[in-house]
Amino acid sequence: MQDQLAALLAKASAELPSLASRPDFEAAKARYVGPNGELTGLMKQMGAVPKEQKPIVGKLVNEAKTALQAHLDAALARLESAELAARLGPAVDPTLPSPDRGPGTHHPLTLVREEMTRILRKVGFTVVEGPEVETEYYCFDALNTPADHPARDAQDTFYLPASARFGNVSKKNPGERYLLRTHTSSVQIRTMLKGTPPIRIVSPGRVYRRDTTDATHSANFHQLECLYVDKNVTVRDLKALLDYIFASLLGKDTKTRFRPHYFGYTEPSFEVDLSATHLPKVNKPWIEIGGCGMVDPVVFQDVGYDPEVWSGYAFGMGLERLAMLLYGIDDIRYFYQNDVRFLRQFA
Amino acid sequence: MKLSRSWLQDYVDLSGITDDDISRAITFLGFEVEQVLRTGAPRFDLVVAGRILTRDKHPNADKLSICTVDVGPAHGGARTIVCGAPNCDAGNHVPVALPGAVLPGDFVIKEAKVRGQASSGMLCSAKELTLAEDSQGLLVLAGEPAPGTPLNELLPPGDVVFDIEITPNRPDALSHLGVARELAAWFKKELRYPAVSFTPAAISADARPDLLAYVRVLAETECPLYTATVVTGVKVGPSPEWLQRRLAAVGLRPINNIVDIGNYVMLEYGQPVHAFDAARLAGAELIVRRAAEGEKITTLDGKAHTLSAGLLVIADAQKPVVIAGVMGSAGAGVTISTTDLVLEVAHFKRQAVRATSKRLGLASDSSYRYERGVDVHSLDEAAHRFIDLILAHTGGRVAGPIHRVGAVAPWEREITVTPAYLNEKLGFEIPAAEMRAALESLELVVTREEPTATRGPAWTFSIPSWRDDLDRPIDLVEEVVRLHGTEKIPTSVITAPGLVGNDDPIVLFNRKVAEAFVGQGFNECVNYTLRPAKEVAAWAPPAQVEALALANPFVEDQSHLRPTLVSGLLASLQLNQARGVAASRLFETGRVFLERNGSLSECVAAAFVIAEETGERSWRPREAADFYTAKRHAASLAALAGIELERQPTALVAAPALGWQTGHAASAGDIRHGWTATFGLVDLAHLKTLGLTGKVYAGFFAIVSEKVEADADRRSYKPFGLHPAALRDLALVVPASTPAAEVQKAVAKHARAAAGQTFALESVELFDLYTGKGVPEAHQSLAYALTFRAPDRTLTDDEVNAAFNRVQADLTAAGFQIRK
Repeated sequence: MQDQLAALLAKASAELPSLASRPDFEAAKARYVGPNGELTGLMKQMGAVPKEQKPIVGKLVNEAKTALQAHLDAALARLESAELAARLGPAVDPTLPSPDRGPGTHHPLTLVREEMTRILRKVGFTVVEGPEVETEYYCFDALNTPADHPARDAQDTFYLPASARFGNVSKKNPGERYLLRTHTSSVQIRTMLKGTPPIRIVSPGRVYRRDTTDATHSANFHQLECLYVDKNVTVRDLKALLDYIFASLLGKDTKTRFRPHYFGYTEPSFEVDLSATHLPKVNKPWIEIGGCGMVDPVVFQDVGYDPEVWSGYAFGMGLERLAMLLYGIDDIRYFYQNDVRFLRQFA
Repeated sequence: MKLSRSWLQDYVDLSGITDDDISRAITFLGFEVEQVLRTGAPRFDLVVAGRILTRDKHPNADKLSICTVDVGPAHGGARTIVCGAPNCDAGNHVPVALPGAVLPGDFVIKEAKVRGQASSGMLCSAKELTLAEDSQGLLVLAGEPAPGTPLNELLPPGDVVFDIEITPNRPDALSHLGVARELAAWFKKELRYPAVSFTPAAISADARPDLLAYVRVLAETECPLYTATVVTGVKVGPSPEWLQRRLAAVGLRPINNIVDIGNYVMLEYGQPVHAFDAARLAGAELIVRRAAEGEKITTLDGKAHTLSAGLLVIADAQKPVVIAGVMGSAGAGVTISTTDLVLEVAHFKRQAVRATSKRLGLASDSSYRYERGVDVHSLDEAAHRFIDLILAHTGGRVAGPIHRVGAVAPWEREITVTPAYLNEKLGFEIPAAEMRAALESLELVVTREEPTATRGPAWTFSIPSWRDDLDRPIDLVEEVVRLHGTEKIPTSVITAPGLVGNDDPIVLFNRKVAEAFVGQGFNECVNYTLRPAKEVAAWAPPAQVEALALANPFVEDQSHLRPTLVSGLLASLQLNQARGVAASRLFETGRVFLERNGSLSECVAAAFVIAEETGERSWRPREAADFYTAKRHAASLAALAGIELERQPTALVAAPALGWQTGHAASAGDIRHGWTATFGLVDLAHLKTLGLTGKVYAGFFAIVSEKVEADADRRSYKPFGLHPAALRDLALVVPASTPAAEVQKAVAKHARAAAGQTFALESVELFDLYTGKGVPEAHQSLAYALTFRAPDRTLTDDEVNAAFNRVQADLTAAGFQIRK
């Protein structure tokens, strides 16, 4: 019996490691431990073993059974891993490019707008929107632009025909014409009329001018304007905002300076220059970036705010211009062509 | 406006102040300096007059001469200089650049050897000194100047011209005097007015009613004040050289003394003036009146104009001789033979001049000033200055009193402020004395000073007539901060209290769309809102195309508001394709304009395109996009606006499909009810006309702007079963024309009913769509996976089977054919 068991194990240890497939394995397994298997046959002979030898033989049989099972398990594991390897195929070349599409890209104007609104949100400005089709009241009258001001000319401003009707752009006066807003300042008026002070908003958006398209002009472009209305707002507060914005955008060393200027809806009014030392493709120490001023009392009166109580400031700038400065882009038309080689540069 | 430095010097002492400092002052006074130009001779150091004593041939070069030149005792007397000019003849007086001189172009003169011969300086041509564009040989100096005389002393003085932009609120600065006043205030200097000696009392000759009998003003509103002065015995000729030089420096061509003086006074005071040849006026009268329709005038620039009724003109007895405030006629202008003049100095209302100038498309320095606003209260002073200069430089005499028609109320304006108010508005402290001095330097005069209870003294300023822009206390804040220096506004931290609200829902929507689509591999595009008519017509019905047209487009291909974003994205695909750049997935957010209940509505929109053929090849191609790709992305657009597209009725786009491919594009929603979505294949014929190769799938979602809502309320949690699910598959054979959504809805309905109260249908998913063998012609098999689950226990086969049998029986009863 002992010899038979030893022979069996020897045979198994020789045969099992060389099995090539799972059917071979199943067949071999049946030959050893199946109902008619060799080990099963030997175990059946246990009955014939004399009683006093039974513990010894039983122990031998059990040892053989354990050893055989180990061989079988090893064989199975080997086969399974071979199968797995076959299913996986050869190792990948990790240096091949992924054929899957990568993420897309945000347009640079979106990036600049979002960065600006993020900066402004930190100091309490929330983003508001307004219609791009506007009326003369919101775009001009309410902003202290007299009826004969050249900016209102059909030469500079796009108008809709007198017959045009807009279901969701309200007119203040029945006779006024619809136009494409020439600045986002109209949003300030709508916001002030709708809300009550204090107000702190930023309105980014698309504006329209009747301009010849060239490297720096475009029939539509984008502006971003801030409006703050509260009690005791001062010129110094306005300067603080501008300093904060551009230090956040370009680093602590960035400086701004004001130059006196004229806008109908602010008094005093300033143009804002930016120290341009860290901007690409700029070869002068200061570069003009926007306009600002203290909200003119006339504007407050027009929206029903008491100018003796309320004061405020407004600041506006062109987003294309800012993006051109930040990225060193030299032609405004690139923003509107959507050449993918351009779009991918700002991801 | 161009300003001459030497001219400004007449009114304010700028000596010792650099051009850069003047430029800076102008800038910080609030006028943008567009450029600074230098006219005339630049400043030359170590360039002096020399006299050539001898000339000998250079031994080693045919074309060179060796000259000895006397450059004066201060520079060492005679020196040897090699010269290549043909006219370096002995006896000529020429400019000599001595060693150490720097000529234009940073050309440094040194002691040198020229072909072996020492040369101690350079004899100069006019071109080398940038005194002429081109020149032949040396500049020979006239008048035999003493050797050693600095060259600049022999040349007319150069000038510096500041070209500045005057903001519309400051018409007073459209004059040398006006800007000089600003500079005087800035540099704390005195302003020196021109000495005007003429007074109406000093009439030197008898009136000449034969030349001008009377002036009549028939348009008093538009012309509140008109003055005309007869000057006789003038001699027309060139104006003095200094005057010519000043006009030339600021870009005006000198013509003759009369015309030049007129221009000079305009540029000095900002008051336009005009001179007629008295002999050429018919009927010895001047009438300010409205033109009759069709009247003709040929202006000084040689252009003929036909006037329309109502335009303001100055006429003689027969014809218009001036378009009021704009330009005079050639026929009444001064000529070389003119001897008697009528000098017009008048005030015209800005609206009248503007209307005329616009109607005729004719602008002038005069009309520009009237349109901006001329100070009528300074009119007489300018008129007297005009007469003064005419008398001084033409030899004429004033004949009779000035014809002065009309009157203006005296100017009176006062503003009362306290220094406390000014500092409050500024937010930082400027000493009261400085503020007062600043305002006074602009000729605001304190007429009263009164104490206030709590706010210190209150100053009442009288405002000069030329500062119509100063009307309220706030206007003085700008004057104070301007003269204090806006660069000195201190920096500080933002101290405003928090007012945080929510961003506009439209902003949130656009932001979410961008995040989602960028994540899906789309490139964000920005296209123009204004589109060509032809493009809009491809995407909107004819009536809407008409409604979208602008009244005054600027260029033909930007004539209409866009009704879709898809057309712009297709244009972007075109551009990329034309440039050989692979562009496949593009998206855009922006406003569109859609017809809604009889009017247009501005809508918030988002769209995408997916181009099939980009020319891009891959070593491992991925599955191509199809209709259902577009449907998925359109659904995510709608979802970002809070709309579940899958739950909305969806149908094929009906003919005419306007841009979309019939049978392969669908839409949901309706803009009349607030939103619309369209998605699928772009019309292949349209793509062909665009020259785009390959299919393009697209999607477009628009929602009326006021209907974009902030994020929906926070959802509450629904418990989900933790016990095992029971799955059953069910296939139905239906006519191919039956919408799949209807079939699924029926399956779900019956399965939910069959599950009853004790357990639930968790989901129904379509997992197979089959046509072919075993399914009749024009039919298809739709296979659904049904998932049942009970919240509290494991379902038994028996109860699930019972429910599944019931589902099949109910569907059969409802007319569906179960595929076994």
